[in-house]
Amino acid sequence: MNLLPWTIYLSFAGALLALVAGARSAAAARGIALVTALASWGVVLVAATGFTPAPKMVTLVDAPWIESLGIHYHLAADGISLVLLVLTGLAATAGVLFSWNIKERTGEFFAYFLTLIGGVYGVFLSADAFLFFVFYEIAIVPKYFLIANWGSTNREYGAMKLVLYSFAGSALVLAALLWIYAAGGASGFGLGELTAAAATLGRPEQLAVFALLFLGFAVLAGMFPFHTWAPTGHVAAPTAVSMLLAGVVMKLGAYGCLRVALPLVPDALAFWQPAILALAVIGIVYAGLIALVQDDFKFVIGYSSVSHMGFVLLGLGAGNVRAASGAVLQMFSHGVIAGLLFAVVGRMVYERTHTRKLADLRQLPLHKLLPFAAVVFVIAGLASMGLPGFSGFPAELAILIGAWQTSPFWALGAALGVLVAAAFTLRAIQVSFFGKDDRDPVAADAHHHYEPISVPEKAGAFLLIAASLVVGLKPDLLFDWITPALQSPAFQAVLKGGTP
Amino acid sequence: MLQHAILVLLLPLASAAIIALFLRRAGGAAAGLATAVAAAIAAIAIILAIHGEPFSASMEWLRLGDFSLSLGIKFDDLAALMLCIVGIVGLCVHVFSLGYMHDDPCRGRYFGGLSIFMFSMIGIVLADNLFMMFIFWELVGFSSYTLINHFHEKQSAADAAKKAFIVNRVGDFGFLLGIVACYWLNGTVNLTELGDKHVFSTMIPLLLFCGAVGKSAQLPLHVWLPDAMEGPTPVSALIHAATMVAAGIYMLCRINVLMTPDALTVIMWVGTATALYAALCAITQRDIKKVLAYSTLSQLGYMVAAFGLGSTHAEEAGAAVLAAGVGAAMFHLTTHAFFKALMFLGSGSVIHGCHHEQDIFKMGGLKAKMPLTFITFTIGVLAIIGMPFLAGFFSKDAILHLALENNHAVFAVLGFTVILTAFYMVRLWILVFLGTPRSEESAHAHEGGWSMTLPLVLLAVLSVLAGYTSLYGHLFDGVWSLIPHEEGLLIPLIGDALMLVGLTAAWVLYKPAADDALAQKSPGLFGALGALKASFDKLYDYYVAKVQQRFAMLLNFLEQVILSGLIVRGGAGLAGLFGLGARAAHVGSLHAYVYWFLAGVALLWAYAAGVF
Repeated sequence: MNLLPWTIYLSFAGALLALVAGARSAAAARGIALVTALASWGVVLVAATGFTPAPKMVTLVDAPWIESLGIHYHLAADGISLVLLVLTGLAATAGVLFSWNIKERTGEFFAYFLTLIGGVYGVFLSADAFLFFVFYEIAIVPKYFLIANWGSTNREYGAMKLVLYSFAGSALVLAALLWIYAAGGASGFGLGELTAAAATLGRPEQLAVFALLFLGFAVLAGMFPFHTWAPTGHVAAPTAVSMLLAGVVMKLGAYGCLRVALPLVPDALAFWQPAILALAVIGIVYAGLIALVQDDFKFVIGYSSVSHMGFVLLGLGAGNVRAASGAVLQMFSHGVIAGLLFAVVGRMVYERTHTRKLADLRQLPLHKLLPFAAVVFVIAGLASMGLPGFSGFPAELAILIGAWQTSPFWALGAALGVLVAAAFTLRAIQVSFFGKDDRDPVAADAHHHYEPISVPEKAGAFLLIAASLVVGLKPDLLFDWITPALQSPAFQAVLKGGTP
Repeated sequence: MLQHAILVLLLPLASAAIIALFLRRAGGAAAGLATAVAAAIAAIAIILAIHGEPFSASMEWLRLGDFSLSLGIKFDDLAALMLCIVGIVGLCVHVFSLGYMHDDPCRGRYFGGLSIFMFSMIGIVLADNLFMMFIFWELVGFSSYTLINHFHEKQSAADAAKKAFIVNRVGDFGFLLGIVACYWLNGTVNLTELGDKHVFSTMIPLLLFCGAVGKSAQLPLHVWLPDAMEGPTPVSALIHAATMVAAGIYMLCRINVLMTPDALTVIMWVGTATALYAALCAITQRDIKKVLAYSTLSQLGYMVAAFGLGSTHAEEAGAAVLAAGVGAAMFHLTTHAFFKALMFLGSGSVIHGCHHEQDIFKMGGLKAKMPLTFITFTIGVLAIIGMPFLAGFFSKDAILHLALENNHAVFAVLGFTVILTAFYMVRLWILVFLGTPRSEESAHAHEGGWSMTLPLVLLAVLSVLAGYTSLYGHLFDGVWSLIPHEEGLLIPLIGDALMLVGLTAAWVLYKPAADDALAQKSPGLFGALGALKASFDKLYDYYVAKVQQRFAMLLNFLEQVILSGLIVRGGAGLAGLFGLGARAAHVGSLHAYVYWFLAGVALLWAYAAGVF
């Protein structure tokens, strides 16, 4: 466990090395990036083997940082952070593999990439709200450069929109944190200290603070109607960055809701619950319906991401252990599956066909031209539809069961979303890959010879599929980490409706 | 015995995995492996049935605090019967496919799909709790999707596969909610525990019934099944006639303890309506497989109605009264599985022989060209219309008996459907086999190889014998003992009289001809039946194209124009305007700044002096 902080340091060191080495050789930068991603993931996995689930956060490092304000460099972890750290390592490794063909300024690309990863690791390990915030910002900034420099369609706009949304969200979070700190007279920014300070606030103030925090984080989790950054950003981003955005960055928001917003003001959830459930379910169905009529392949996946993240918010908002466990599992599951979908669409298809328009793709016999990509996309699509055997099934099931306990009505709405998911996924599969037969003379003319799917792409795809399958077949692997963590006093205060 | 049950479940999974990983391009090896596994399944299923002892076992799959889900096996006579049906029909279809699919370039994928199907279907049969059943329920839907989609180059096949999956998902939506509701109300979803203790609520069985409505293609979710005929014919025989579509009825029998009188009334009427509606639709079909598909729908309606009839008059749903419904439904399920699989494989033989001609008006005269197919198909026809001493006669009588006892309106409808069944089946039989060939294809028709005729013979034998429950010895006693037995000859006489009416009408009306006699003699009736058949598809197409699509387009418009455009970009524009204004003030001229400075001083002074 004590090795975990090294994930952060390794990533930042790797970023620096990649920048330096990249100036001379792109291959070196790639190698450094892969080694760094694997090494930090390895650290997580080693730590995970020695991990005993417990209803508390285990402190890894705790050193005073800005003593006059009571700010500590405090890193800690529990089962929930561990799940997300495993996901981060996985997404980072797959991301590097799917960026193997980046030729322009390779070193810089991987430097930003690894900085982002380091920030994400930092967020998942922070136990001090201020530190959390700092890492959160570190994770946001590189996104802008990655998209603006290496992105595609409308990249400046996408990058700007994404970063402005992220900053707007974090401004709300910062305001709320400072409010609690100042008005509650907190002695520091530790989560426990802030919780105590928030308890001294009046009820209206508590409700307002909770709203700011939850909203601020939920923006990054893609909550309706603050989700529009996500599809635009995903589309503009280079493949690996789309994978990271959907895979881990959206989870930062959801994790913030769970780790910071909910426990800081435990009894505010009951008040805001109807609004959260409503927005979550509307988001699930709304984004699903919009995905149904998109003509850009990546927009389909982008909106499906928003729809699936709605399940996470539903699980968090339902306020019971089952739904919350399901939400954490769904974070993992969506991270893997959305990553895979973006990898197919962005890397395997777009970089070969140079079009993402479904109307164009259906003119190509893609299942014959890129059979591997077709198989991977079908598998990812099935996983995304929540087919049993893949990780999405136990996650969405747990959320539905938990949500039913809170409100059968909204559970019903969410189940409707599962239905819509089948519709847009099958449409995407049919139109994109199985649109046309190459026996057709017109299509035969357009019979391009695409560069074959490369080894790093195959490796990345196998990695993500395996992760989804393993968790789907044996969800207890992760549930056994998640549920004990939710038994901690901080979470119990929330999940039992405010009584500690 | 537990090991046998686990083996029978995992063998087809192993086969599917091996085919998917290694044998995708080795069609012959894949076919051999899948068929060998199917033979093993049939053998083990029979061993399990002979052994007969009920047993159960389970292991935890996931745990969330005090909530846990398990995977387990519940083996009793009901499961044994279903397992044997799946095993035997499965084996016949595999063997038949060896010949039928011999020239298909994607044989590997086809047999892999069959193996996945066998795995998922056996999972449904053996599941000891509703969650596990749901898991395999979804997998069975997936394998059905891939097999319908086998000829995915055909747009119609791809559309049919998508439609089948989504329509089934609609049913599963209710099924899943029913399972969740059942869990919250009863605290368990284990079938055995539910049998011991449960709360009566009409909502739960009805929600669960939604799953059966989807999978067993009852009104109003029946639309996927006729389209599913786009799949290879052996698949239609196995999945869309004998086993998967019967899973809905099997599931109902599994949860019969949860039923309430109100729920049973609904189920009864849904089944009755489907039986009648589908029989009416079958009359106008020209495609041999479509006729059989509507006939399947109709027969599934019989089974569902039989289940619902079991105890509609009971005050409180009690197992003893309900059981009559279970017995009759499962009995008909069994006989139907054999004779319908027989007819589908027979139609496959015909289609194969006629070089993929499926229009019955372009066939004719096959009696002489394909004698074995003719004889076995005739047995199938006689069995389904209820000819005495064949399997369908006994099982249909049991259902009519239940109907007469419990609900005369249902009896009238089902009785009328007996006439229709005889009418459309005899029509099909005359047009396909009698007279002279009416097309080039049928003139050169030929019998398939042994792999295609052997399954036909086996199924034909079963279509005769499956109705004699005493032949089974003590096998499946737990189910057979539930079949209602009537005293006297009233029901058989009524049933046969009705059947003869339909048979005679078809015999008189249809001669082997290239045109539909009904369409010529009574175009009004023919048109009305066609419109009736199209009504649901039209309604759904209207919903999908005009309502859902437009609603989604509207949302997309709101998203792109209002939310992303006006609000987000508008907000950005406002900030931009403010920035422009501020920039305009910074003109870089010292004079201007001095004026601004003076204005500021004046304002400060005014503020200090209390002007504001």
